[in-house]
Formats: sequence, C-alpha cells, structure tokens
Amino acid sequence: MKFLCIECDEAMKLTETRGPDEGSMTVIFGCPSCGRDIAMLTNAMETQMVRALDVKIGGSSVPAEPMAMVKNTLRDQRDNAPMAQAMPAGKPKSGGSKCPFTGMITEAEEAKQSGMQWTEEAEQRLENIPPMVRMMVRKSIEQQAEEKGYTVIDAAVMDEVKGKIGMMYGG
Amino acid sequence: MKTYKDIVGDGGSDMVGQITEQAGRVQQRMATVKHIVAIMSGKGGVGKSSLTVNLAAAMADRGMQVGILDADINGASVARMTGAGGHQMAGGETGIKPATGHHGVKVMSIDLWLDEAGSPVVWDAPTQKDAFTWRGMVEAATLREFISDTEWGELDYLFIDLPPGTDKLPNMVDLLPQLSGTVIVTIPSAVSQFVVGKSIRMATELLQTPVIGLVENMSAYVCEKCGKEEALFPSGHVAKLAETHQVPYLGKIPFDPRIAMAADNARAFVTEHKETPAAKALLNLAERIGDFVS
Repeated sequence: MKFLCIECDEAMKLTETRGPDEGSMTVIFGCPSCGRDIAMLTNAMETQMVRALDVKIGGSSVPAEPMAMVKNTLRDQRDNAPMAQAMPAGKPKSGGSKCPFTGMITEAEEAKQSGMQWTEEAEQRLENIPPMVRMMVRKSIEQQAEEKGYTVIDAAVMDEVKGKIGMMYGG
Repeated sequence: MKTYKDIVGDGGSDMVGQITEQAGRVQQRMATVKHIVAIMSGKGGVGKSSLTVNLAAAMADRGMQVGILDADINGASVARMTGAGGHQMAGGETGIKPATGHHGVKVMSIDLWLDEAGSPVVWDAPTQKDAFTWRGMVEAATLREFISDTEWGELDYLFIDLPPGTDKLPNMVDLLPQLSGTVIVTIPSAVSQFVVGKSIRMATELLQTPVIGLVENMSAYVCEKCGKEEALFPSGHVAKLAETHQVPYLGKIPFDPRIAMAADNARAFVTEHKETPAAKALLNLAERIGDFVS
C-alpha cells in the first residue's frame, strides 16, 4: 500500500504509528513536500491481518527474533516455551520514525494484559529481567497475583509468587 | 498523477524487503537439508501421519539424519506419535532446537508449544471476530517460522506431514519451491480417490512439483495368524488412478492394528515389526523414496 499527496504528486512517507486502541491502529503518513499529514486507521481485523503477515509497518531495524510469530501470537503456550539464547537485542521500541507495527501491538497489549497495577519498584525489578522472557514473567506474576486476589503488584507480591514461577527472575 | 508503479518503495516499511528476508531465512535454513519430502493426501483420515512417522523411522534406521515438520497446525499428532511431545525444546544460537522423537528423529510441531497436550490452537488477536480472514495467514507464518527458525542442522530427509486439503501443498511449495518430491496417500475408497485425484492434479498440472507417487494405504487386512488378506474397502483401482494421472503407483500398505498401537505408545511400527507385510511395504516405500530423490 502506498500513499500519494495528490496536490504535490509526491509519495507520502510514514511518520508515526499510534495504538492499538481496541484493536485499531493509527498510521500517519506525511507529504515531504507540503507537510500535509494523513492518518490510516485500521479496524481490529485489519490490524490482525498485518500482524499475521509478520511484517512491521515502518520497517524493521533488527533481525527478527526466532519464532516471533508463534511466541507473540499463540495463546495458551507452555510456561517453559523455548527462548533463543542469542537473539538480537530485544524487540525494537515503538515510536520514532521506524515504528515496528507488530512490536507496537504486542507491547501495547502486554501493557494492558490485565487490570493489574504495578508499583514503580515492581516495574523496575521487571526491567532487570532479560527482554526475551520479560513478557512471560509479567504474565505469570499477574496470573499468580490475580489468583491470590491482589490488584496491585509490588515487590512483596513479586517475592510471594516467585516460588511458583521458579528461577525466571532473581530480584 | 503518479500511479502505484511510479512510486519507488512503500513509504518506509519495505514490506517486500521484509517478506524477501523471511524467504531468505527459509532458504538459508534448508541449505543443510538434502531432501525435503511432503506427505499429502487432500483427504483426511488416510494415515498420512502414521506413514510419515514410519517413513522417518525407516530412514533413521538406515542411519539417515531425519526430521519431521508437522504442518498440521490444527490436528498435530507427530510429536505424540514419535514420543517427542514431552520434550523441552531449547533456544539455540540461531533458533529453536527441535524436540527429538524415537530413532533420534527431530520434530517441530505446534503441540510442542501448547501448555497442555489437549489444548486447541487459538491465536491472540484484538478480536476473534472474523478470525477466518487472518487465521490462515497466521498459520502460514507459523509454518514458515517452523522451517526457518528451527535448528534442523544437517538432515538427509525432512518429511513434511501436510494436513488434509488440496490447498496445503501449494502453500508449502510457495515456502519451499525446492521440494524434492511429494508422496500422495489414499485409501481404496472411491470417495478418497475422488478427493485425492484433485490433489494429484494440483501437484502435477498446476504446481508441476515432483510427485514421487501414489500410495494405497489400508489396502487390506492381513490376518496375523493365517496371513490371509481381506479387502477393507469394496473399490480399489488405486493403481488405475495413478495411471490416469501419470504418476508412479507406489504400492499397497495393508492395514495392521499394530501401526496404530505403536503410534499410541510412541513407538515405530516399521522397525519393531519388520517381518510383517505392512512393515515390508513401508520399508519398500522408503526405498522408493530414496531411489526417487537420489
């Protein structure tokens, strides 16, 4: 798909992506000549179709993580599903001129996986976990905490559920 | 006003480049695999997976390095049949190490990723509504990853167990145009042959991909005690079907309940019951495949 600024007869360039918001992504293109912006808005089904292609809107600046599609998309995965040992340095972050569409969706969905609130200290401890297993650990902690009736995850809750999660994080 | 073709690139995403890179990863991974053989039918319930597992065991028994890609995302059974289901896969330097089944056969299957053996495959999405529009794409991407991101290593044979459906082979050929050959499986029933005929045409006329031949599975029941052969289906004529479509007829494999029992117990029938008519037929089929690809 390409976008053309009719007035300038100039190909538009991707400048930003936002979302997802209830499955909808906003992909903004700008005309390099006149600066006019337009936004492409996707519905949830279209968002998922792009995700299914396993490509990134805005381009990919790092090599793909092995089995990224399966890891990011398959529900009900084994807790000990394999992780590659020498993967590239994590998924690219959203924002900036090169916005990884797929990565963005995943990250945004990760953040709203549950209604759990994380304290700053707990978030910081989570940050110490290697990116490749962070999502899995976050999910596991939230699941354990929810089962115990917690709505806020702090360092004490993390310590409490650590035993069940095993050696995934040491903090 | 400029048209699509006048504009170079796609505004910064380089979708074509990303898809090309994905294809490149597949080719790079397959560079260490000598022969890729797809087992297909088009029709379900004809014994493709049993055949695949036994062919893999037969090849491995001859000292070959063998892998199986279970391409049946929604009906995966190879991990269980080979005893690889309980294995813990591990991350390697350049991908995921496959599980190992009996005879050292390397296995990659969606079953190895699911949290419970009986879990159905469900893909996360903003909404499951209208999932039919993208589910096939996710499954295709998953198969691509299974091929490109599994550390298959040096293999003499990679067998691909395809699910039912005449569209499955074209999808695989898109991913693996260098497919060494396809074994097409039918049972003698007229309905099975009707469907399988379409698969043969898909392979030969449309895809023009090499067909190793047509095999007649569950051709008859051989009495364990007296050795008498009884037909299981009234029709037959599978050799005629092969002749009509000008593909080699690879012979009959009689039904033997021990094939299913071995699969249930994650054991290889073909190497444990070498003297039975069914095992001899399977070994002969393995030999025919070897002759075809060499």
